[in-house]
Amino acid sequence: MAQKLKETILNPILKGNPITVLVLGICSALAVTVQLKGALVMALSVIAVTGLSSLVCSLLRNTIPNRVRIIVQLVVVAMMVILVDQILKAGEGTYAIDKQLSVYIGLIITNCIVMGRIEAFALGNKPIPSLLDGIANGLGYGLILVIVAFFRELLGSGTLFGLQVLPSGYIPNNLVILPPFALILLGCIIWVHRAFDKDLQEK
Amino acid sequence: MNTNSNVYTVIYTALIVVVVAALLAFVAAKLGPAQDANAKAETLRQMMSAAQVKPTEELYAAKNAEILDLYAENISEAYTIGLDGKKNGELSVSKDKIELVSKLKPQHKAILAEGEVTLPVYIFKSGKAVIPIYGAGLWGPVWGYIAIEPDCHTIAGAFFDHESETPGLGAKIKDEPWFREKFIGKTIEWGDSPAFRLEKNAEASGATNAVDAITGATMTSKGLNEALNIWFKAYENHFGLGAFFNMLEKHAIETTPNAEEE
Repeated sequence: MAQKLKETILNPILKGNPITVLVLGICSALAVTVQLKGALVMALSVIAVTGLSSLVCSLLRNTIPNRVRIIVQLVVVAMMVILVDQILKAGEGTYAIDKQLSVYIGLIITNCIVMGRIEAFALGNKPIPSLLDGIANGLGYGLILVIVAFFRELLGSGTLFGLQVLPSGYIPNNLVILPPFALILLGCIIWVHRAFDKDLQEK
Repeated sequence: MNTNSNVYTVIYTALIVVVVAALLAFVAAKLGPAQDANAKAETLRQMMSAAQVKPTEELYAAKNAEILDLYAENISEAYTIGLDGKKNGELSVSKDKIELVSKLKPQHKAILAEGEVTLPVYIFKSGKAVIPIYGAGLWGPVWGYIAIEPDCHTIAGAFFDHESETPGLGAKIKDEPWFREKFIGKTIEWGDSPAFRLEKNAEASGATNAVDAITGATMTSKGLNEALNIWFKAYENHFGLGAFFNMLEKHAIETTPNAEEE
């Protein structure tokens, strides 16, 4: 049992990472990784949404009519996303970040990871493992987001968390700030990930 | 129980929707005041940044309550005007009841339709008048606040913001202090068309009402230029006359009472 739980938590972060292995949630990974602060808030939001949506759907799993299950899931996910957005807007410290992330918080609804985990895991498992699975998938997503944002903020603005780290003579690279570079960076991360994990390589 | 029967499905979905809607409505009502307070403080920060009350970073580091205090300390009066330039309303500036015209989109539409407008003018104790501008950038709305010196002619400061312009390109209108600082000391030529120019190589002409557009952000710059000119036009009757009288005073042009009456 403990072994299974451990796998539930570790698998989405490493071997079954939603971004680098399942290649889900790419759009938002390109959009919100210009600055570390934004990426971190986005990651936390996704963790909250995947975790809580999986929990609620798992609690409801025996009552949901099979024919409308996708719609019911969507309602639950949309509710969670709106809640997260409203809370971010209401917090004095998070208001500016919510403004900066603009539509991308709302677009968590369309993030395939959320619905994917509910369909694949939460509907067939007990609430606690489902919650952990959702959180772990959010963590796997957030980890990649933070790695990408680290390089993009460092090279694109010369800063980390808004603080200047590169010498002031550094000329920020504009390509790094544009979405295509995030795609290149993601490709590199997938490459490194596969190089280290032999199980992921095709024969 | 058969969870696949039609009756069950209909009742179940209806119930889910009602529960979720009720929950969201409750949360929205609970958090609404906090969100409005954040939005108001944000607007005040931007206005005071334009009016050079304090450096922008300090304003953004300050808490909401401090911002309200700072505004109440520095504001002298606020009112709204119509397109004819005449006052058509007062805005309260007392600390507990600060009134703003925060929704700029409907005003923008009304200006374009030449309908009824209530355009805000915020007069600070330093004599600077702050007015908003609003328009369309590349991906979404762009807006800003322009502070005008007491001579009704010179720009004392500016602050621009946007909803979703490209980071590193269009977003520079907000992120790069040098951009808003360029506007300081420039003039608004009321009555001219255009009253202000934010265009490629505009500064090279030597005109005082011109600022260079941002390289790589052509559409954002164009949108901002349009926003500036549409709103300046709307304020023309209010400030244009003031600027005219200021000019008369400056050049001490003598007019005879008779000539004025004719």
